[in-house]
Amino acid sequence: MNGTDRARGMGRRRFLSGAGALTAAGWIAGFAGGWVLRPRWAHAAGPIKMGIATDITGAIAPSGNANWQVAQFAVEQINAAGGILGQPIELYLEDTASDPKIAVGNVRKLIQERKVDVVLGGITSAMRQAIKDPIVNRGRTLYIYPQLYEGQECTKFLFNTGPSPAQQCDRLIPYIMKTLGKKRFAMPSANYVWPQLLNKYARKVIEANGGEVVFEEYYPLDQAEYSATISKIKDGKVDCVFNTIIPPGLQPFVKQLYESGFQKNGGVLSCVYYDENLLNYHPANEMEGLISCLDYFQAVNDPFSQTLQQGYAKKFPDTKYLFTAGSAATGMYRGVKFYEEAVKATGGKLGREEVAAALDHAVLSEGPGGGAAMVPGHYHAKMNMYIAVCKSEAGKTRYDVIDKADMVDPREC
Amino acid sequence: MGVATTRGAAQARKVRGSRKLAFRVLPVVELAALVSLVAAPFVLAERAALVTLMTNIVILSLFAISFDLCWGFSGIMSFGQALFFGAAGYVVALVGRDLDFSQLLGTLPLAMLIGGLLSAALAAFLLLGRKTPTSIFVAFGTLTGAYAAERLVSGWHYVGAGNGLSSIKLMAFGGFEFVEGAAFYSVALAALVLVYAASRVLVRSQLGLVLAGMRQNEERLAFFGYRVQVFKAIVFIFAGMIAGLSGALYSYHQGFTGPSNLGPGLSTTAVIYCLFGGSGTLIGPVLGTVAIELLSYVLADTDAIRQFWPVILGVVLLVVVMFQPTGLLGLIVSARERIGSFGVRRGAR
Amino acid sequence: MALLEIAAVTKVYGPLRALDGVDVLVEAGTFHGLIGPNGSGKSTLLKLIAGAHFPTTGTIRFDGMDITEMPPYQRARNGLSLKFQITAVLTELSVYDNVLLALQSAETSWQLLRSSSRLRLDDEVMVALDRFRLADRADDLAGELSHGEQQWLEIAMALAPKPKLLLLDEPTGGMSPEERRVTGELLEPIKPDCTLIIVEHDLDFIKNICDRLTVLDQGRVIGSGTIDEIERDPRVQEIYTSRV
Repeated sequence: MNGTDRARGMGRRRFLSGAGALTAAGWIAGFAGGWVLRPRWAHAAGPIKMGIATDITGAIAPSGNANWQVAQFAVEQINAAGGILGQPIELYLEDTASDPKIAVGNVRKLIQERKVDVVLGGITSAMRQAIKDPIVNRGRTLYIYPQLYEGQECTKFLFNTGPSPAQQCDRLIPYIMKTLGKKRFAMPSANYVWPQLLNKYARKVIEANGGEVVFEEYYPLDQAEYSATISKIKDGKVDCVFNTIIPPGLQPFVKQLYESGFQKNGGVLSCVYYDENLLNYHPANEMEGLISCLDYFQAVNDPFSQTLQQGYAKKFPDTKYLFTAGSAATGMYRGVKFYEEAVKATGGKLGREEVAAALDHAVLSEGPGGGAAMVPGHYHAKMNMYIAVCKSEAGKTRYDVIDKADMVDPREC
Repeated sequence: MGVATTRGAAQARKVRGSRKLAFRVLPVVELAALVSLVAAPFVLAERAALVTLMTNIVILSLFAISFDLCWGFSGIMSFGQALFFGAAGYVVALVGRDLDFSQLLGTLPLAMLIGGLLSAALAAFLLLGRKTPTSIFVAFGTLTGAYAAERLVSGWHYVGAGNGLSSIKLMAFGGFEFVEGAAFYSVALAALVLVYAASRVLVRSQLGLVLAGMRQNEERLAFFGYRVQVFKAIVFIFAGMIAGLSGALYSYHQGFTGPSNLGPGLSTTAVIYCLFGGSGTLIGPVLGTVAIELLSYVLADTDAIRQFWPVILGVVLLVVVMFQPTGLLGLIVSARERIGSFGVRRGAR
Repeated sequence: MALLEIAAVTKVYGPLRALDGVDVLVEAGTFHGLIGPNGSGKSTLLKLIAGAHFPTTGTIRFDGMDITEMPPYQRARNGLSLKFQITAVLTELSVYDNVLLALQSAETSWQLLRSSSRLRLDDEVMVALDRFRLADRADDLAGELSHGEQQWLEIAMALAPKPKLLLLDEPTGGMSPEERRVTGELLEPIKPDCTLIIVEHDLDFIKNICDRLTVLDQGRVIGSGTIDEIERDPRVQEIYTSRV
């Protein structure tokens, strides 16, 4: 079986390896320009259709492309092992283009044209909120959201496979305050729902541990000038910046913060979505000393995680889109595998009621950073959480893991 | 003297009526468009995505017509039609979210009211001042209005700031909720037909004659006794109401609205639809919307073109404006027919 | 009381005094000519009466109303009609539609929207066209008419709403002698109902149709009276021999 070709499901909107090669590998041009892969060994019941809706272009593209590659990698592994109960998975991609307006139209195509059985994707909370209606409500389709976020998403048929604020903050903030001794926090934030709710949660933890939030401010996503913010940080004697600014404002902010000498003077920059993929966003020296808390870092060296990385590197050699946690890639992997478990449990039935019921208590014994388990009735999963510090060396960054907590409860819904 | 002239007039009428009737193209085009649009959902029955596309096209045609009324018929270069489109879209989303109300018999008229009020406000400022405004002033004024609205909304948390409003409550009629599909398409098409009919009555009426005169020589019309700016304001407000209706339908259909639905970008899209199809004809903007959106859908799929599609669109528009300023319809409709005739007997052409 | 009273009107454009203390009285039911060399201010005065510009000082009273600052559309509604020097028929509309446009100007927007007068005005349009010998051109575009015919059309449009005062600025410009004669014939019948103020260079034309003349030179009135009086006025003779 040619697992490589089969799993490389090509969506209508994106070719990664050239249309000519696809034709040669047995792809058939569909109506209005789509591409469909018909595996020869599909049952009469038809293959399982999985839709990926992620940001291939736009400000979030580095994370989106990582998601897409990991989805292909995970599906290829499943198909190579014979699919789910003998049925292969067909992958379809739509680009949400880091723009909710475009995303809504494109996601609708996944539902209406491709008629997929499940959609995985969305990275920013804004994107999730924009596309969940076309998927779950109008489209009556299952939706798995793979990214760390602000919590409180308790919608039926919407499963979250990334960490929640509790999982990220409950150990991280006490660590920063007690072990690193930082007590004065600044919260520069992007102006939308994820920073607003995450900050609310983080503030509770900070104040419960005797710390102070010096200021909490919100900026437009495309703001490029932060000198006022940097002044506030200096004047307020802030020693920890708990950042929730996202691209495209992120790059100028981190640059201006670094250039102001904040880290040189002992300040700590903390951001809970920072991972190895962020090298794509910044020069390495700006990330030195940065502290994050995620469900996986590449430094985590249990055998399964390492095998995953090797397999991924083999499939995508020298790719700049790494298999990391802050970019929802681990959540994507988990999402695909959880779905596999759920369909196995339903005996191959794909109706969303049955799959959702099975998904509700799905368990993965292995995964990047360890296994994971959905908390029944709570739409979120327990997973291992790691605190790591970024070190830069000769223009390359790596994270050193300094703390691990096992199967942390998400405490959501 | 009076008898003699009336006799002369009667003779003159006989001469006039003896001219041949030249062939009129526009009614044929309009009929063909109507038949196609009515048939579309039946022809496309299984292709849900195409029905969705056609619904969007119908809704955006309304938007393009609102621009045509301003520019093609009244000489108002409005770069701000999206302001009314987007504002109405936001209002119906907020009414759905905060008041849990989405009955179309309530919200669609509300959308038209919003469009009408905003355009009245803008007209009062731009058109009805003491001094007669130049068209550059109006163009910039509308552009600035749209730009300001987009920025305002991008920073306002209550309306979702930069990320807009999603999960908009579905448009409803009694207990029936409209998702994408033939039912929604019917509502949109009904709106288009009604608006089109009303607009046609307007532009073919004696008021339409005033507009036709205004397009050619505004100054002269004032000396006839016409308050030109009042007529412009009337059309501008009517167009604003239509843009509002279109914006509400779009919001309900897409399930999403954002700051870009208010801004100069979308306003310019209306300009492009209209000029490409042929302004000053009402059916021209419909054709332009159909052509551009269908082309977008098909061509944007081809990966090689996808990144360049906006550039291609820009070049196409440039070419049309330079070499075929009357748009697609200009190829088959004479200027005479486009401007029309307003007397009782529309005799020869 | 005169139909039109122009009192001490001055119009200044920067350093240029186009009109300086001009007084003119025009009686109802007369044809009043306005003559003078180039640059004497005739057209400027006409524009002030029409409302295209406003005087720097002075007043203009029309039919008992002070119209000095009145906007043009209001003057039209009060019975003032005009035809400027540059032909301004609507070239892309038919001859018929041009006249209809002139006739329906007193109506409200709502009436126009309902096209309530379309049927009723049809007769009036054809009568007006017939009077100006344009009835058989009714369906042609105004732009297709000859220059002379366009002038007649414009006069027809100006007269269609039955104004009290008609202003004509060089109506025979570019016309052949035959066309000028016809123009004179076309204008004669309006006299008892409509007063005429006409600016012209063609002195014969003026002498043929006007009752009274006002002569301007360099922005000032240098003579006003009947044709005979003006012809015998030495000051008038002087400017016409020395400078025309």
